[in-house]
Amino acid sequence: MNWRLPALIVGILAVLFVALTLAKVNPIDVVTTLLKGSLGTPAAISATLRETTPLLILGLAVFLALRAGLFNIGAEGQFVVGALAGTAVILRIPGPAGIVLGMLFGALFGALWALPAGWIKAYRNGHEVITTIMLNNVAALMTTALVAGPFKDPKQGSPTTAVIDPSSRIPNLYSNPPVNLNATLLLGLLMALGLAYWLRKTVAGYELQAVGANSTAARFAGVDPRRVTLRAMSASGGIAGLAGALQVMAFEGRFYANFSPGYGFNALGVALLAGGNPLGVLPASFLFGMLEKGGTSMQISGVPKGLTTVLLGMLILIAAAIRYRRVRVVA
Amino acid sequence: MLEFVFLTITLATPLILGAMGGYTSERGGVINIGLEGLMLMAACITALVSPGQGPVVGLLAGIASATFLSLLHWLATQHYRIDQVISGMAINALAAGGTNFLYGKFNDPSRVGGIPALPDDLYKYSAFLLPFALALYVQRSRGGLRLLAVGSDPDKARLMGVAPIRVRLLGLLATGVFTGLAGAMLVSETGVFTDNMTAGRGYIALAALILGGWRPIPTFLACVAFGFFSALRLRLQGTPILGAELPSEVWASLPYVVTIIALAGFLGRNRTPAGLGKH
Repeated sequence: MNWRLPALIVGILAVLFVALTLAKVNPIDVVTTLLKGSLGTPAAISATLRETTPLLILGLAVFLALRAGLFNIGAEGQFVVGALAGTAVILRIPGPAGIVLGMLFGALFGALWALPAGWIKAYRNGHEVITTIMLNNVAALMTTALVAGPFKDPKQGSPTTAVIDPSSRIPNLYSNPPVNLNATLLLGLLMALGLAYWLRKTVAGYELQAVGANSTAARFAGVDPRRVTLRAMSASGGIAGLAGALQVMAFEGRFYANFSPGYGFNALGVALLAGGNPLGVLPASFLFGMLEKGGTSMQISGVPKGLTTVLLGMLILIAAAIRYRRVRVVA
Repeated sequence: MLEFVFLTITLATPLILGAMGGYTSERGGVINIGLEGLMLMAACITALVSPGQGPVVGLLAGIASATFLSLLHWLATQHYRIDQVISGMAINALAAGGTNFLYGKFNDPSRVGGIPALPDDLYKYSAFLLPFALALYVQRSRGGLRLLAVGSDPDKARLMGVAPIRVRLLGLLATGVFTGLAGAMLVSETGVFTDNMTAGRGYIALAALILGGWRPIPTFLACVAFGFFSALRLRLQGTPILGAELPSEVWASLPYVVTIIALAGFLGRNRTPAGLGKH
C-alpha cells in the first residue's frame, strides 16, 4: 500500500510538467518567479502578509467547522456578507466606536448567513456543503445587487460603496511604504492562539471536537450533537464575517462588487493543509498567501495566473490523500 | 411566444446535460460538486480544439477532458479515499485555474470569427431525450439497478457481489460524457470561450438534481423550470413589476433559494440516496 501516495504525487507532478512543457513555460522559471514575487524583497513579503491575513482568519473559521465535522464551503459568502454589513455600519459611525461596531456587525451577519446551513444540517439532515454552496451564490448576487443599489456611492460609476473615514481604519503596526504591517495580522495570530486554547482547554471546545470525531459516541456521552453543529456553524460563519469586516477596515477601505477573489475557497485548502492543529493554519495561510502574491508576479511575467489555482488544487489533493491514507480499501 | 419557448430550451439544455452528469455520479453514491469544473474544462478544450481540428474533434476533445477530470474524481475518492467534497473542490480549482492557463497560453488571438460548432439542435435533442433514456436504463437494466444498489447501500451491494468501485467507474465515465456535452454546448451557443463562462451553471445543475430528488425526470423538469425563469429574467429585464424594477440578481438567486428551502425539507420528503458519500 505504500506505493499509492508517492504514485499520486509523481502522477500529479508529471501532468503539471507536461502541461508546462506544452505551453513552453520553464518550470524552474515558474518557481523562481513565485518565490521572488512573494519573498524576494521587503515589499513583496509585506504584500504576501497582506494576502495571508484574510486567509489566516478565514482558515481559522473553516478549521473550527472542520473540527466539528462540518465543511464550511460557505466561508466565501459569509465573508462578503460580513464585509458589506461591516462597511454599512462604519460608513455611518466613524472612529474607534465604528471599528468595534463594524467588527460586531460583520461577525453577526456572517453568523446569520451561516445559520440556515447549520440548522438544516442539524435538524433537517441536509448536507451543509450543498446549502453553503447555494448560500454563496445568493450572497454574491445579493451583495452585488445591494452595492449597485442602496449602498452605492452616487459619485462613483462602478458598483462600490463610499470610502470609509480614515479614523475607522485599522492602523498599521509598522508603516514605511511600500512596506506595511497591519495590526489585523496580529489579531489573526491571537485568534489562532485563542482557538487552540478554546479547543483544548474548554468544555465547549472538547464537546465540539467530540461531535466531529464521532457524533453518535458524543450523544451517548450526553452531548447534543445538533446544538453543537448549529453553534459550530454559526461560530465559523461569525469568524468569516469578521474577516470580511476586517478586510474592509484594514486594507480595502470600501466594499465593491466581486469583493472576494475566492478567499473563502482557498480557506478550505488552508484548513485542510493545517492538519489537526489550529496553529497549523499559520504556515498554511502563509503558503497560500505566497501563491496568491507570487501568482500576480507570474502573471506579469506572462504566465497566466490560473497556474497558481492549479497548484492549489493539486496541493489540496495531496494534503487530503495524506490525511486519508490510513483508510483501508475494500473493493 | 414560440421564441420564448426556444429561449427556455436553449437555457435549459446545458443544465439538463450537467444535471444528468450529476445523476450518474450521485445516484451511485459519489457526491459531485465538481460538475461546474467539468463543464468549464470541456468548454475550454472544445473552444481550443475546434478552430484547428473542426467541431467534431473539438466536441470529442471536450468530452475527453471532462472525462479525464471525472476519472480523477473516481481515483481520488474511490482509490485514495479522499473525502468526496474535498476532491470535488480540488477539481473545481484545477478546472478554473487550468482553463485560465490553457486558454491564456494556447488561444490564438489573431483568429477571426466565432468558434466552429455543431448545430445547437444536436445538444438540445440529446438533452431532452437523455433523462427518459436514463430513467428507463436505471429502472429496467441490470447495470442501472446496480447503480441504484451501490448508491443506496454500498455494503449490501458488496454482499450481493457487486463491486461499488467498478459501478462508480462507469457512473463517473457517464458524468464526464454528459458534462462534456454541456460544456461544448455553451461554446457552440455563444461562439466564444471566456474565463469562468459556466458562471454557476454546474451548481444550478446540482440544485436541480437535489430538487428532483435524485430522479432523472423530476430533475429534468427542475432544469426546464430554471431555464424558464432565466428566460423570463432576460425578457423582463428593465420592466418594472408592481411599480419597482427588481434587480436581475434577485431573479438569478431564485434557483439557489428554492434549493435551500427544499433541503430544509419544506418541499416533500428527503430523497437523498442513502449511500451518498459512503464507501
